[in-house]
Parts: sequence; structure tokens; C-alpha cells
Amino acid sequence: MLAIQAVGLTKVYSSFFGKTRQTALAGLDLTIPVGSAFGLIGLNGAGKTTFIKSILGVVRPTSGTVRALGGDPEDAAIRARIGYLPERLHLPGAWTPVAFLSSVARLKGLGNAVETCRRHLGRVGLASDAERRIGGFSKGMRQRLGLAAALLGAPDLLVLDEPTDGVDPLGRAEIRRILAEERARGATIFLNSHLLAETERICDRIGILAKGRLVREGAIDELTGSATRYRARFAPGADAAALATIGFTARGGDDAFVCDAADPAALDALLTRARGAGALLVELRRDLRDLEEVLSEALGSPSIAGESS
Amino acid sequence: MKAVLAVALDLFREASSRRWFLALGIGITLLLAIAGLTLRIDVVDGALSATRLFGKVLHSDIRSVDVALRPVFRAAAYVIFYGGLAFGVLACADFAPSLLAPGRIEHLLALPVQRWQLLTGTFFGVLALSLVGAIYGAGGFTLLLAIKTGVWTLRPILAALIAGVTFAAIYGGMLVAALFARSAALSAATGGFLFLAGIVAGYRERLDSFFEPGIGRAAFQAVTLVLPRVSTLADASADLAASAPVDLSALGSELFGLAVFGLAALAFGIWRFESQDF
Repeated sequence: MLAIQAVGLTKVYSSFFGKTRQTALAGLDLTIPVGSAFGLIGLNGAGKTTFIKSILGVVRPTSGTVRALGGDPEDAAIRARIGYLPERLHLPGAWTPVAFLSSVARLKGLGNAVETCRRHLGRVGLASDAERRIGGFSKGMRQRLGLAAALLGAPDLLVLDEPTDGVDPLGRAEIRRILAEERARGATIFLNSHLLAETERICDRIGILAKGRLVREGAIDELTGSATRYRARFAPGADAAALATIGFTARGGDDAFVCDAADPAALDALLTRARGAGALLVELRRDLRDLEEVLSEALGSPSIAGESS
Repeated sequence: MKAVLAVALDLFREASSRRWFLALGIGITLLLAIAGLTLRIDVVDGALSATRLFGKVLHSDIRSVDVALRPVFRAAAYVIFYGGLAFGVLACADFAPSLLAPGRIEHLLALPVQRWQLLTGTFFGVLALSLVGAIYGAGGFTLLLAIKTGVWTLRPILAALIAGVTFAAIYGGMLVAALFARSAALSAATGGFLFLAGIVAGYRERLDSFFEPGIGRAAFQAVTLVLPRVSTLADASADLAASAPVDLSALGSELFGLAVFGLAALAFGIWRFESQDF
């Protein structure tokens, strides 16, 4: 079953008199299975927020379809199963966190849920601030409160826009733990974040959005690594010229080399030849790139470059 | 319906934390307290024999106390009606723009609440707020005079309720304005225009003779036809409070027109809101 499905999703914003038009989404196709943790990354203006708002029925597509949890996002019964944390959640400064969460709980049809609200405040680390005015909260505390609101009602789909923005490192770790718990419960997580390291740690699948289109999508391992490329480091003094003839390419200048091997037998053969050339292996691992490199590569690909010109 | 009530309740809670409304509540309470402590009315056999304010005797003829109170209730009804409307226009102008604020509206729309429920809840929240304010002010004043004179009447409270529903109709227009441009100033300006134009509309039969017969007069009649008759309702409210004869069928007709205006504005607002992206 799919948690999110977008087919040919297009959104064009028009000015009041229709003189100017701006395409935010240009035929986006994306499927996210239930139970996964999906991260959407891209540059500012790529269409990430518009896509999130489409999932929630806040923005109506110009063409194409989007379905959440198998239904129409406009359906209140579907939205009742979605928890959402906006990028800049507007919170009533004069209210207490309990009053705010109680209001959200009422609107979610959970009735009088003061104890549930207090439990969620404890979960996000705000138990001792439950009776304080929100107006005195720091940015990180506001984010935690927003996350607590999103978690109300044990939603099947969590849509989080920059959830760790402004949160201290320990708080981020706590949020990651909460999200892991939610996943273990069976919830699907859809994350939009500029913090690529955070995305990498939380998500198992990634999509890269550029100019309203999905330019890369897949499991993190697939996107950040190669099934056939390995990174080897030899003891100082290895003969780089000899290693190059065998198939090792120098990388990084710290006696590190990369090589391509289709299977373990080929890799073992390459290493045997390297040892034969006098090189002493001290480290061997899969050659993984970080998301920043993947993003740069995706955005620098000919198809994107061609469109931007 | 639960969602509409929940939105209205939230608006109520939000209003109670705003300085404008806190100031209004404190102001009304202080006025009532001062009047209660400084006003002394002597009633003998149902007649008003002497009145003292801050210890100073207010000269008046000896007459039946209920008759003596009529001009007081009339004046109070006008103050509550026009003062309440002016206050409401200023104090409630920010509700809809605040509801539509970035970071708040998308969060609300992502909850299992329909758009029409959000707008209807806001409208009825303001209606409830204006009615509670009117009842508190008029009720307190009536109760104070009732305790001091023994004249018990609900008429000033009913008169204040007319002010409350009149404001709700005007607020319908303010809500629509905010949906076209998220601005408290525009919302207040729209409310101010409807307030003043509504006063003019109440005297349309008398005023249209100032226009030459033709397009000018027809335009004046057409524009004022759809506006709430604020001054007519204010006069009816004052008559009701002062126990003067009230043409109930005419008042009913005016209130029906008011309801049509308010609900039409709300329906137009919902139509606009349903087609908006945030």
C-alpha cells in the first residue's frame, strides 16, 4: 500500500489577474510506500513546500493527482490520519502548550485529551513547561511543541517540514528517537529538510526535487553508494603508478584509492595484485558519498542544467 | 458541527487573551463598579424621589421610577449600540488576517476540518463574542439599576442583543475583505465603511430626495438597499430599551435583512476561501 502517490502533479501559481504565472510543480511523479521514511531535498524554490501542501490539500493541483493514505487529501477522514508540522508554525503566544495542544486535539476530533496532551509534551521534552506561556518559548521549544501537535492522535503519516530547525543537538537526537519510535509503530515519515545529515540519519529513501520535478529518487544506499565501487587505503609508501595500472585510482591524497569490482572475487583479485605490487592494505570499505555530493551531482546533471539555461 | 464549535471556542479563547478585549472587560467592570458605589437612588412608593451621584443631588421631578429610567435606558442603548459597533470594528479587525497568517492557516487546513467550518466557526465565534460583550455590559447596567430602583426589565439586554447581531453582520463583510487581502487595516476599513454606510442606509427614504431623480437617486437606492440599516436598528434598539412602542414586524424585517446580509457575506467568503491556495 502507498502512503503518498503523486501522478503528473502540476501546480502553476497565477497572479490575481493571471498576468504572471509561476510553475512550482511540473508533472511530479512519486510513490512512497507505507512504513518508509522518505526525505525530500532540493534547493529553495524547487517546489518542496508546494508538494507538501498538495499532500495535505492546502494547495490544489493545477493538474495531475495526489493521494495520501489511499484517499483524497481533501477528505477530512484522511487528514485525521496525517500529522503535520509546518516549517514556520504560528503559535498563539498567550496560550499555554496544554491549551494549544487541547485545541489541536479538539480539531482532530480527539475530544478532551488533556492527559494525552501532557503525555506528548513529556515525550518532546516540554513537560516542565506545560503551564508556561508559549510567547516565552525559544525556537527549538516551539518546534518541539509543533512536533507534539503533529503526533497527536497517532497519525499514520507524519509530514514534517524542517522538524529539527532551531533545535539543539541533543534535542535533534531526541527527535530522531521519537521519529524512530513512530516508524516502529508503523507510521510513514515524510521529511523535508535542508539539513542533509539529519535527512540521511532519519530517512531510508530520498527524493531530489528540482524545478518542480523529481530528478533522483531511491534508497539512500543506492543514491549515496555504488554497488561496485570500493575505497581502499594503503600504508604510506604505496606505489601509486603501479596501483593505477592494476585499477586503483588515487583519491583524497591520504593514500586512499578507489577501485571498481563487479563481485567479491574480482575485488579479492584486485587486492591480491595490489599486495603483489608491494601495497599494504590498512582499510577497505564501500565508497559512499554524502547527500551533498548526490544533490550537487543531481542538480548539475545535463537535464537540469539544460533547463536552467 | 463540533468542528465549528471548536473553532468558535478557540476564537473566544484568543479574544480573551487580547488587550483590546481585556481592556473592554475591565472598563465595563470598572464603570459598573463606580456607578454601583457612587450612584444612590431613593425610591418611595414606586416614585423616584432623589438621585445622588458622587454625593451630589441630581435635580429631577418626582415621577414614577420606571418612567424616569426610560431616557437612561435609551441613552445606554445608543451608547452600547454605536460604541459597541465601533469597538467591534477595531478590535475584531485582526481575527481573520490572524487566522490566515502563514504557518497558522496551513496547519489548520491540514487538520480534519473543512474550510467552511473554519470560516463559519470564526463568524459565529465573533457573533458569540459580541453577544457576550453586549449581555455583560447591558446586563450589568440593568442589574445595577434594578437593585437600586426595584425596576426589573430585560428590555435593555434585548436591545443590546440587537447591537450584537448587527455587528456580526458587519463582521461578515470584514471577513470577506480579509480573504481578498490579508490585512487588518482593510478589514477595519471595510467594517468602518459598512458601519457609516449602514447609518446612511437607515435614513435612505429621507435622504434620497437630496438626489435628482434619475441615475444618481437610483444608484443611491440600489447601494443602500443591500446594506444593513444600522441607524434604523439603533433607533429600534433604543425604543425597545426605553419601553417606547416598537413596530415588531418592521423590526423583524430589519433583523431578517441583517441575517441575509451576514449569511450572504459568509457564503461569499466561503466560496472565496474554498478556491484559495495557502
